[in-house]
Amino acid sequence: MAEEVSRRDFLNRIGVTIGAVGASAGSLVLPSPAHAQAPMPPKGTIPDKPYKTGHMTFFTGPAAVLGEQSYKGHILAAEEINAQGGLLGKRKIETVKADEAAGTDANVKELRRMKLSENIDCFTGVISSGNTPALGPVAEELKCLTVFTDGCTDFLFEKAVPNPHYVFRLTNIQSADGVMAAIAATQAWPKITKIAHIHPDYSYGRNAFDHFNIAMKKLSGNIQVVSEAWPKLGTTEFTAHITKTVSAKPDLLFCSVWGGDYVALYKQALKYDLFKKMKVATTLAFGVAPHALGKDHPEGIVAGVHANYHFMYPGGNKWPLNTQFVKKFYDRWKEYPNFEAEGAYTALYMLKLAIEKANHLAGGWPDDDAIIAMLEGLMYAGPSGYNYIRPDNHQGYKDAITGFAMQSPDYPFPVHDPKRVITVPIRSITAPPGYPKGEPTTTYKWIDETWPRVV
Amino acid sequence: MDTLLTQILNSLFYASILFLIASGLSLVYGVMRIVNMAHGNLYAIGAYVAAWTIGLASTELHVSLLFVLLVTGALAAALAGALIEPAFLRPLYRRAEEYQLLMTFGLLLVLEDVMRLLWGPHPLTASALSDALGSISVLGATYPAYNIFVIVIGALAAVGLGAFVYRTRFGVMLRATSQDMRMASALGINVKRVYVQAFTLGCLMAGLGGAVVMPISGAVLGMGVDALILAFVVVVIGGLGSLEGALVGALIVGFVRTLGITYFAEVELAVLYLIAAVVLFVRPAGLFGRA
Repeated sequence: MAEEVSRRDFLNRIGVTIGAVGASAGSLVLPSPAHAQAPMPPKGTIPDKPYKTGHMTFFTGPAAVLGEQSYKGHILAAEEINAQGGLLGKRKIETVKADEAAGTDANVKELRRMKLSENIDCFTGVISSGNTPALGPVAEELKCLTVFTDGCTDFLFEKAVPNPHYVFRLTNIQSADGVMAAIAATQAWPKITKIAHIHPDYSYGRNAFDHFNIAMKKLSGNIQVVSEAWPKLGTTEFTAHITKTVSAKPDLLFCSVWGGDYVALYKQALKYDLFKKMKVATTLAFGVAPHALGKDHPEGIVAGVHANYHFMYPGGNKWPLNTQFVKKFYDRWKEYPNFEAEGAYTALYMLKLAIEKANHLAGGWPDDDAIIAMLEGLMYAGPSGYNYIRPDNHQGYKDAITGFAMQSPDYPFPVHDPKRVITVPIRSITAPPGYPKGEPTTTYKWIDETWPRVV
Repeated sequence: MDTLLTQILNSLFYASILFLIASGLSLVYGVMRIVNMAHGNLYAIGAYVAAWTIGLASTELHVSLLFVLLVTGALAAALAGALIEPAFLRPLYRRAEEYQLLMTFGLLLVLEDVMRLLWGPHPLTASALSDALGSISVLGATYPAYNIFVIVIGALAAVGLGAFVYRTRFGVMLRATSQDMRMASALGINVKRVYVQAFTLGCLMAGLGGAVVMPISGAVLGMGVDALILAFVVVVIGGLGSLEGALVGALIVGFVRTLGITYFAEVELAVLYLIAAVVLFVRPAGLFGRA
């Protein structure tokens, strides 16, 4: 029988931190120190052959407003590394790009083509949870070193590639998304019981639905799902879904619609006064490139960032690595980064660090197995905080984050209210190594079996 | 009660858009016996051009004039149609149908890339129009006034197109050509001209559909293919080549989709295909089709 605790005690126990980000946004003062990890001089002879990466993300369609920044983050990191001579001072990074909007089958063919005819050294990127489980096994078969920067479904390393060797993935695991939305919602509005759902009808939406519900069951006790809507991914017409949601009179709408779909959804929902009639929690409202949202975006909703990263946090000079990254990204692209940009940027720097460590041990250009051994268990301080790659499942973890939308005079788009940013240590909301696998995900089972029920 | 009314309006709104797309597709097939796969992207061209012109003019012109600019989307699609028919379709009429399918499917892909080239990968929006009208209260329910504007446009288009085909001299020529192209030609009708006019009219309707939906959904790459698939569902139900069929099919799909979302959320898309399958099984030519 699960123990019972009060909600406040429980949130304290799992380490929920709310608020005070530091100096207000807009004051991007650059601290003097350069990048944290000082480069080690390379050992042995390094070839000057370019290091080829293949980067796949959405360049077209509604998903591009979220995905395209992944490429920009990757290119920014590659340009910075190349400006210092390249990997180990010699190998310049060259990038072949591919449009993920081509569809899963075409994406798998493209990975094969990149590896077999373009001879890429490393494959990176990928946004959709529908694609990583198809690409992962192929990358293993091709023996292609792969660092996915999203496509974060728990399914990838629990079922599709249960014993990864060549495949890694940064950005938080997907179950964290639904759980973070539940924590933010119950913390802000403890009395909600009636929940409505709108999710894209594929693995991501299902995952968000499951994990939000199990976390709410623990955090809130008696919740009741009063409405469900499952639009197709890529839908930009939501009138009937919105009407159904409004008519169910829920206390809270939980929504994992993302990209251009979300932009269309919130604009249409405004006309139905949806945001005046209920509280709203999302997983990816602020997942899109920041400038894709308008001044008409509602304030006060839980504006998810895939539990990963928002450019204002950590703010001020609290974490100079972030201040520097945001400034560099803005100078290069004239826009602010989203979590995909940070993920792709950090992925390339983690690869660089692993290559340097491997070189330090054995000298010369390290083979893939040596790089892999260094990536396993690697800890790296990036713009979003500490990133850790678990050796047992090759999944990257960092503390989860979400926040509440507000309109600030400093930006032409909505941002997180700096006083109400919520962060949670990732170990508090994700199944630990060695926990027996379960359905629909191990984290779901772990929450169900080990979290107390609040009273 | 207010929910019921809102959902009826939502269904009519969706049906209006579908009718604008499907009527053109059906008209072109009825007259020319061509299944125009490129039709979806003529709809998308309407959306892109309207978003582009409205975006350019939004700071200069009063919002009421911006509504007039929606017409630019329809005209651009019509112009594209007037160029495509003589250049790409005319040489293929004497060939097997497979050639026409390949050609129009090729055009679908080419137009997609042309739009990407011209307007880039990101969605274009011009929500100023829907923002300007705001929301109105209908029996206690809040409803976007712009959606009602779209329903009115859809209804006017249905009446106008019907009057055009059944009440005008050109309509008689159109129907004569569709029934027997050789006989019409023998009687002195310039079939070439009828073809290009019919194709242009079909594209105009699609472009208008794209233009009026754009302030709500934006202009997005891929919208053409999605719309094409739904338009095929509509004409399969209504009967390919029939205007009444396009109207009834659009209404059926509009209402069934809303019902599906409300009561069978998990199988929202499957419901539509199921209806199409049932119609194909019971009446293979569609409800109003000529077998």
